Amino acid sequence: MEQRQPLSGVRVVDLTWIVAGPQCTRILADLGAEVIKVEYADSSDYIRRAPPFADDQPGPNRSGFFNNLNRNKLGVTLNVAHPDGLELLKRLISISDVFIENFSSRVLTRWGLDYPEQRKLRPDIIYASLSGFGHSGRHQDYTTWGPTAQALSGLTFMSGLPGQMPAGWGYSFLDHTAGYYAATAIMMALHHRHRTGQGQWVDISQVETGMVMTGPALLDYTVNDRPYRRDGNPPGNRSMHPRVAPHNVYQCLGDDRWCAISVFTDEEWAGLCDAMGQPSWTREVRFATGEARVENEEELDGLIGDWTLRHEAEEVMTMLQAAGVKAGVVQTSADKVDRDPQLRARGFFPVADHPEIGPYEFEGFPALFSGTGAALHRASPVLGQDNELIYRELLGLEEVDYHQLAEEAVF
Amino acid sequence: MNHRNGPPGALEDLLVLDLTDEKGMYIGKLMADMGAQVVKVEPPGGDPGRDIGPFHGDQPDPAGSLFYWYHNTSKQSVTLDIHSPEGQELFKRLAGQADVVLETYAPGFMASLGLDYTSLSESMPRLIMTSLTGFGQTGPYRDYKTSDLVAMAMGGPMASCGYDDLPGAPPIRCDGWPGYMTGCHYAVVATMAAILSRNFTGQGQHVDVSLHEALACTTEAAMPWYIYRKQVVKRQTGRHHSIQSTPPAIYSASDGGLVHVFGTPPQTMNRWVGLVEWMDEQGIGPELHGEEYRELVNTRGRSSELVFNLFRRVGELIASMPAAAVYSRAQTIGLPWGLVRSPEDTLDDPHLWDRGFFVEVEHPEMDRSYVYPGAPYIFSETPWRIARRAPLPGEDNEEVYLGRLGLSSQELERLRLDGVV
Repeated sequence: MEQRQPLSGVRVVDLTWIVAGPQCTRILADLGAEVIKVEYADSSDYIRRAPPFADDQPGPNRSGFFNNLNRNKLGVTLNVAHPDGLELLKRLISISDVFIENFSSRVLTRWGLDYPEQRKLRPDIIYASLSGFGHSGRHQDYTTWGPTAQALSGLTFMSGLPGQMPAGWGYSFLDHTAGYYAATAIMMALHHRHRTGQGQWVDISQVETGMVMTGPALLDYTVNDRPYRRDGNPPGNRSMHPRVAPHNVYQCLGDDRWCAISVFTDEEWAGLCDAMGQPSWTREVRFATGEARVENEEELDGLIGDWTLRHEAEEVMTMLQAAGVKAGVVQTSADKVDRDPQLRARGFFPVADHPEIGPYEFEGFPALFSGTGAALHRASPVLGQDNELIYRELLGLEEVDYHQLAEEAVF
Repeated sequence: MNHRNGPPGALEDLLVLDLTDEKGMYIGKLMADMGAQVVKVEPPGGDPGRDIGPFHGDQPDPAGSLFYWYHNTSKQSVTLDIHSPEGQELFKRLAGQADVVLETYAPGFMASLGLDYTSLSESMPRLIMTSLTGFGQTGPYRDYKTSDLVAMAMGGPMASCGYDDLPGAPPIRCDGWPGYMTGCHYAVVATMAAILSRNFTGQGQHVDVSLHEALACTTEAAMPWYIYRKQVVKRQTGRHHSIQSTPPAIYSASDGGLVHVFGTPPQTMNRWVGLVEWMDEQGIGPELHGEEYRELVNTRGRSSELVFNLFRRVGELIASMPAAAVYSRAQTIGLPWGLVRSPEDTLDDPHLWDRGFFVEVEHPEMDRSYVYPGAPYIFSETPWRIARRAPLPGEDNEEVYLGRLGLSSQELERLRLDGVV
């Protein structure tokens, strides 16, 4: 018997794909929920076809991107367009605690599986719908991927150098974030159900999960009438709130190597000056106070950059942290995997063996629990890996029926 | 917090003590807006997080920090000097009633006050303590200092964000608090996990959340690209990191507005036909009728000469119309393109008002209300709500110390004079 985890005994029917939904159910599965990922061969999760692939050989069970996102989940195939398939999905919902999907907003209604119908199958079901714009409002049929939602929410605009095109986000940050909110909402709903026996529907719009991350900037407009769109914005890596300097990333020795340095107090400034060996310019009156450093930020950044260019990024970080200065290497994945002793010390790269591609390292869970918490039990499912377990053992299909449904391509 | 209208929130049974600084304030907001009673414990004189702008009317006043306003909605505030022995005793009495303590001090600090999980849990086995720190409570970097910028650098997001067409441009961090908020997202998830666990076991626990790790697993395919192929993805202006160069994704419309293009080439033939029809209407890209372009539909190829040419035509198409018209036409034919909006632009989006996203929050001492960003999720039975604007320093001292702990007014006054509260 494995140790009880926080979500042990919680069964989740998972009709999500791509990144946002699978990010949510990855969290639930890491915390011990029994997540049943439902796919169908012709419309399996798009990320199964997304690189990188193990040994650079494409194949539905070979994507490292998919493996990392879908570990700890059970996998079944099911054709919900077939009446018998839809019936099996309904039976799964009737014995589950949570049902989550990230289709566009009208798909479930078309299947006859909107929330009121789900409640007939399972009165205390917790249903999470996760879409670009949510299941209400005039644009509910519009669709997003992460970058679309980042643009619409303001986060793309807020990332960049002043006077340039937005740098935006180099990946679907809001796929992660929407997944985090969905997991949070489901766990809050589970707590409420534990106390009252009442399930509910939680509706999540990816655009809104980005907008809640712009709070102070939006309040500056609604309270002070000051738009974020103005000269000098976005401020690159400089800090407008609080207004401090130096606060930037600085190029270091090597190819595309950078170190972030952020100084908030006079003590930290003194530490930075010590670490740089007290060059005479640090004692000039133009850098003597916090206000003066902000006033002369451009020159200050240039002088610090002259110093960092002579050192490796790791050396800059180590020297500055020893001097009490907030500093850190702009780490790539290579840095994190090969050269980050902190992540290794905390066991951040657990290994699981995948039936087709073998053992690989996975991203860990970013919290350690003194009691019971997250764990890695298995790699991602190959397509249909758990059909027999779910349809025969869980739903109790007879062997002859199971084989007949398989022949009819119901799964 | 009392629920004034409508049904209670999902966390209405929970009492949370919030000792967090700016790194972790958002954790308590997420819980308080869902009905938990979250008591912010501030030093007498107010929390240093109140010094972060922007400020109401640009006046640096502890009651006017918009950063603090946003991150502390629905909370109560008490003042308490936890450095003093008497303050520590009061804190322990509060913790004895609490379900959760949230804290963001440097590792070891809570222990130095005798208020760490090990000390408290002896007499409070149901207590959950969540510690969010830069790098976690253990490991060689545990004492490293962090900031939002340092966290976004070390965790990996910045290596993927920046410019490929500006020589020498640095990796870029999005303005605001994306690093800290991501740490808070995992901290609230982990806290809820501990609460659900306690529902069955009756046992609390200590939850050690690392901001560094929260960001280290928030970089999408960058990590698998290295683990599986030993390749480091390169940052590109306004679009996905990649191991190979892909076409630009952000284009200027005829009115100067910016449009972000995604899901192109389209994934379905319907959308392709819709895009080519639209191009035809604008007299752009006759070559897109060629069979070789139709074959791009639902391919993952992003770097062929055909794809680059398709994007050149998309750029011309966008330049031929105002941004709002581009956005609505693209979405109508199923293309997931979006306007690049500044935060204030979102206030003009009627869809968000349809959903009730924006909320008015009363500031009674100013005799007015302000529009805030609202709920990240809509619960059908236990609504999210901002029960009250962020508290003034010590605003709830009487309710908490007299009501909850049963102190007398005279005792509270003495504590105030002694600088304990």
